[in-house]
Amino acid sequence: MKRLVLNPVLDKEFRSRMRTWKSPLLISLYLGTLALITLGYYWTQQQRIYYSGFGPDVGPQIYVTLTIFQLMLVSFVTPAFTAGVISGEREKQTLDLLICTRLSAISIILNKLMASIAYILLLIISSLPFFGVVYFFGGILLSELAQIFLVYLMTALTFGAVGVFCSTIFRKTQVSVVVTYVIVFFFLAGTAAITAFLVNVRPNFGGVPVIAYLNPLVALYSTFPGSFARGLPLNFAPGPSGAVGANVTSLQPWQYNFIGDGIIIVVLLFIAILLLDPVGRFSRLKRWFKRKKKVQVDSGEISKKIDTESTENYEGH
Amino acid sequence: MTAVDNLSLEVDTGAIFGLVGPNGAGKTTTMKILAALLTPTSGRAWIAGEDVSTNPSRVRQLVGYMPDFFGVYDDLKVDEYLDFYAASYGIPVRERRMIIGDLLELVDLSHKRQAYVDSLSRGMKQRLCLARSLVHDPALLILDEPASGLDPRARVEMRELLKELKAMGKTIIISSHILPELAELCTHIGIMEAGQLVINGTNEEIVEHTRTGRILQIKVMNQADGAALILQEELGLTEMPFLNNCLDIPFSGSDEDLNRILTRMIKDGIPVISFSEGKNNLEDIFMQVTKGVVQ
Repeated sequence: MKRLVLNPVLDKEFRSRMRTWKSPLLISLYLGTLALITLGYYWTQQQRIYYSGFGPDVGPQIYVTLTIFQLMLVSFVTPAFTAGVISGEREKQTLDLLICTRLSAISIILNKLMASIAYILLLIISSLPFFGVVYFFGGILLSELAQIFLVYLMTALTFGAVGVFCSTIFRKTQVSVVVTYVIVFFFLAGTAAITAFLVNVRPNFGGVPVIAYLNPLVALYSTFPGSFARGLPLNFAPGPSGAVGANVTSLQPWQYNFIGDGIIIVVLLFIAILLLDPVGRFSRLKRWFKRKKKVQVDSGEISKKIDTESTENYEGH
Repeated sequence: MTAVDNLSLEVDTGAIFGLVGPNGAGKTTTMKILAALLTPTSGRAWIAGEDVSTNPSRVRQLVGYMPDFFGVYDDLKVDEYLDFYAASYGIPVRERRMIIGDLLELVDLSHKRQAYVDSLSRGMKQRLCLARSLVHDPALLILDEPASGLDPRARVEMRELLKELKAMGKTIIISSHILPELAELCTHIGIMEAGQLVINGTNEEIVEHTRTGRILQIKVMNQADGAALILQEELGLTEMPFLNNCLDIPFSGSDEDLNRILTRMIKDGIPVISFSEGKNNLEDIFMQVTKGVVQ
């Protein structure tokens, strides 16, 4: 486990990433964009209070705007960081040298993903002061903010896993990046379109189709305090309809989203790990199956032997 | 398309095995299979008793692989680059510092320790990659065209480095297009063509195997016509074409015959500069055993 976390790949990725001028530039651009939105919104509100004063909804409105915009930024930035992690190594002709070492495919894939996610986390954490503005106006709890950041983390992990998966599948980084963005677009807009279509086709179905919960915007929306949701178009009854039944009320939509994302992450990373190492991949699985079969055969023979012995013993009695 | 077909060979510990063949012969595929980077569709390969397909992690610990085309992490410094790979092989931090120092000295890059890999010349990068393949002190080195694309000086430096590794007792499998250098360095040679191993053995065995007869090499200061006349009489040949007073002819006689010819030439006052028996070099053998088939 220690080898998996304190890994040279992670160390190298951090070193390489933070050494160039691109990193501070990207952080500056990211924070600059968030600053523009916050200050722009604050400025328009200031113009308004000249006549009527700050409304009670100013804080929540900034909060909603900021959180949605930040989710969009995370969705936009994550593929750029992850969709070339393996194909880039392949293009640079360094992948074979990496596979030649004692690092396992699991270790390479997980640490590549962790390095990218760590950088995205840095972007998210560095944006925290902007959320301080929301506190200035009030109306948001710290626990709600924590939920929002969990949604960001899960979204980054999901889109990161998609990026790493595409990067392993496709030889060219360009193809990998394009496919990753298409998949991310599907998560954000495609799931919404399919949901709208299903809701219109089957208006009496009740509840929301399961696919809606894959949308990170749904997860984000469900973490907003109740008053924020007023006037928004979809009323997300908790619990996906169809599969489990519309009356399942134990989990919130963001929790369903996390479960869905978790499954997607595990499946995609598992396939990526299998595909990365051309020699180690299936042979390891095959060996495992062989061992299991051998153990079964051995235990079968032993039980047969025991049966025979016990029969003999019984007869001997 | 089959890259490598029906290949069977054994390399002894401490041997330097040169794999020769035209482009597309299957040399790189063979090397990648041995380095546990490719799985053969059928057949097995073992390194020091370890099966490459079933125990790749153990094999990778035994093998240092240098591909024909390789990239480097340009944004790392030379020592960071080696440290990364040493860490990837699980070498503890304290040992790493010492190993990196020794390796940089071996490949003559100590003065570039703090330089970015990006700033190194092609030859230096090749040497750095060779150092990288040695970080875990492998028993076997698989070097795919280690001197390709190098200028003459860098090529000589690389050759000297390989001789040093040979002296250190490493087993090396090396491919190259520069056949005279390979012949000088290797103890064993294998020639591949169209995915098949055409010939394989020690240098002497290969020369012996491909020998079609003896070759007589004569060089005279002048009087080439007189020398030709003697050879015509002694060997019964009708034509004896000396070129720039030199002659290479196939010879099927005995050592006594050679002695008689030389004695007669000296007795007749032919100014002989050299009189020797020529051997097929690796280039000749390569041309002889390959047919120029490309997959």
